[in-house]
Amino acid sequence: MGAYSTIAFKPELCDGCNACMQACGDAKGGETLADSRIQIVPDRGRFELALCRQCGDPKCVANCPAAALSKNEETGTIEWDGDKCVNCLLCTVGCAYGGIAYNAARGHVVKCDTCGGDPACVKACGRGALKYVTTARIYNEVGALEDLFVPGLAGCQGCNTELIMRHTLRRVGPDTVLATPPGCIPGMGSVGYNGLTGTKVPVFHPLLTNTASMLAGVKRYYKRRGREVTALALAGDGGASDVGFQSLSGAAERGEQILFVCVDNEGYMNTGMQRSSCTPYGAWTSTTPVGERGKGKSQDAKNLPVIMMMHNCEYVATASTAFMEDFYEKLEKALDASRRGFAYLHLYSPCTTGWRFPSRKNIEVARKAVETNFVLLWEFNPRDGLRLTHPVDKPRPLREYLEAQGKYRHLSPEQVAHIQAGVDHQVAFIRGLADGSARLPAM
Amino acid sequence: MSAVTEAKPKIVVCDGNEAAAWGVTLASVDMVAVYPITPQSSLVEYLAKFVAEGKLDAEIVDVEGEHSVLSVLQGGALAGARVYTATCGPGLAFMFEPYIRTPGLRLPMVMGIVTRDTLTPQSVWGGHQDAMSVREVGWIQMYCETVQEVLDTTIMAYRIAEHRDVMLPVNVCHDGNYLSYGAARVELPDGAATREFLGPPSVNWHAALDPERPMAVDPLTGGAGGPGPRMFVKYRKGHCRGMQNALRVIEEVHEDWAARFGRRHAGLVERYRMDDAEYAIMTLGSMTGAAKDAVDEARSQGRKVGLVKVKTYRPFPVRAVVEALAGVQAVGVVDRSVSFGWNGGPLYQDALAALSGALRRIPAMSFIGGLAGADLTVDHFHRVIERTARLAQDGQPGETVWLNEND
Repeated sequence: MGAYSTIAFKPELCDGCNACMQACGDAKGGETLADSRIQIVPDRGRFELALCRQCGDPKCVANCPAAALSKNEETGTIEWDGDKCVNCLLCTVGCAYGGIAYNAARGHVVKCDTCGGDPACVKACGRGALKYVTTARIYNEVGALEDLFVPGLAGCQGCNTELIMRHTLRRVGPDTVLATPPGCIPGMGSVGYNGLTGTKVPVFHPLLTNTASMLAGVKRYYKRRGREVTALALAGDGGASDVGFQSLSGAAERGEQILFVCVDNEGYMNTGMQRSSCTPYGAWTSTTPVGERGKGKSQDAKNLPVIMMMHNCEYVATASTAFMEDFYEKLEKALDASRRGFAYLHLYSPCTTGWRFPSRKNIEVARKAVETNFVLLWEFNPRDGLRLTHPVDKPRPLREYLEAQGKYRHLSPEQVAHIQAGVDHQVAFIRGLADGSARLPAM
Repeated sequence: MSAVTEAKPKIVVCDGNEAAAWGVTLASVDMVAVYPITPQSSLVEYLAKFVAEGKLDAEIVDVEGEHSVLSVLQGGALAGARVYTATCGPGLAFMFEPYIRTPGLRLPMVMGIVTRDTLTPQSVWGGHQDAMSVREVGWIQMYCETVQEVLDTTIMAYRIAEHRDVMLPVNVCHDGNYLSYGAARVELPDGAATREFLGPPSVNWHAALDPERPMAVDPLTGGAGGPGPRMFVKYRKGHCRGMQNALRVIEEVHEDWAARFGRRHAGLVERYRMDDAEYAIMTLGSMTGAAKDAVDEARSQGRKVGLVKVKTYRPFPVRAVVEALAGVQAVGVVDRSVSFGWNGGPLYQDALAALSGALRRIPAMSFIGGLAGADLTVDHFHRVIERTARLAQDGQPGETVWLNEND
């Protein structure tokens, strides 16, 4: 399946001005707003959209007995052929979106044709409620690439590791040497057991401590030999922020040409959910247990991506498994940057087992972390500084995120207040860097 | 890939650290990782200088500590590079985690240990305690006596390490202070001849991180059932076999070196004035020079004493040691380090184990000296000779003798 473009609608930005309907009517030679093929409909204080979705599995096409409707495989648009139409209106019965309707003035059904890829309605919308976007563009592009991991892996149910592994390897490609230091990623079989492996690119276990150093040796030698090989790490937060930090910092300082992805699940989850320096304040772990005296981790998390930014790396970004298109764009930039210097991606990835939430809720928890500003999605390079890639101006209440996880079940109001203060501080700090009101020390 | 400019002096006066750097240069090494530590520092400074001057065409990686030194080299070797570094004492202790892993990966690299006594007491001076502390890890360890031997052995070590029957990393040990800073006249072998002697690097044919030959390097192996246990035993036995093969290969390589370059060093064990010796002293490293002088003086006084120098300490040349000592009535073993568990020296402990396979009992005694830079003089060795002569008479080994105890 190719990548198709379609018209996206954000109801919260629509004020019902009807400019889109006016523009559509004009573009299609209509007399009244009723001639518009896009219809904005008031609904309980908001506005909803009646418009053809250009469905992938279109019911209108299936219902048509005359083959007058068809999906254009190239553009993705559902096309109507007046020569074949018998005016039975079965298509309108099939559509759940009000996307195809009988126009009495014309005497037949009409529907959106996206104005040939340049929709008039979108241009007329002054509030950004309508956008012409390409659906799943990145997924489709990456989907066409080879999956470099075997079917099946031994991760916990609901773990995002498979998502991360398959999508990252597809994009990075076969000319890669992959380091997976001890942790969840090799734990699910990437280097393998007793002679069997799951990965189709060269892969190895570094020590927990020396991922960046071993990759530096690999990369330096290929560079010396004039061979273009990507040196990729998929490491956990424990190995990156604690015992492996020296080698990570050293490699970043030397500008080794490595793409280092830190998969942050906030602790040593593979060894049984122990605390790392990336574990947030208040969190239960097996080494910060909760009891009469213990109330979870009593220190704040180390902000590893900010520390890596302070190394003035060629590229540093945070990403989330709930925002894969954002991750893909960053992966692309990081891959490119790793040909010039050190590229660091910090990927926030919830742990169903260690964070104590149902396995089906992984993406939901990851999304809430972003939507409450518990984590911020940003990118940095030495020339342009820091930029927020998914600013959340109106965050959801922090408790929605905390309450989604068993590891925070014990929190006192004081602890919640401490976490909220940390979130507020982080937002102010990162936004300050983004808008230039705060500056990094001269480098 | 040429590593050495052809315009170079044939004879130089240099210390052991510079000699090692010349050996690395002549061995056409691809990658050197460096981190300074006394008394090794000038060695890596020489290498950096040689690269800066264009004498050595190698990738030099200035890392943030010894742990990364060896880690970078593991990566380089898995990509196919011939690699080198040197360290000692606390640096060796810090790199222990990747150090212990290197022989199991069967990576044929060379690392100098400019031997230094270990902390604590705090000390920056020579002694074998650092290298001895890692003697059971599975690296080949060879100890040098002279500056020339440091140079020659550093080159030979690559051929030993990369031999298909061996495929193991090699420590070329030379004494901190005495060899690291002691200058001597040294002959530099010809660059083209050493290249021919070594051949091209042959490092990662068995385990590679190379997209052209994708494989998983070092998956988890072992466990209670399935194929794990026997696979693990296979790897362990292969490692042991490589060590035992090294005993043969080391002798062959030293022989070939002598034939090509005219300098003969004993590969495993050197016998000095042993032909009619009634008792022997056993030495390791640079102390052997003073010990030989003492043997010469004792011989001139009519004492029938000889000397056995162990060059290859790991794998321990059991047969060569037993053969060398077969004719003596007693042996005094001199160590520059301590085996705490045995209240004696580690070489003494190995000698005891080896001599248990002799046809008759050969009593041995442990002497410990030269710790933390202490001088081991001809006089010290006269004391060793005298005590060993008594042992040859009465067959009664005494307590360990600490040679510098009353200096």
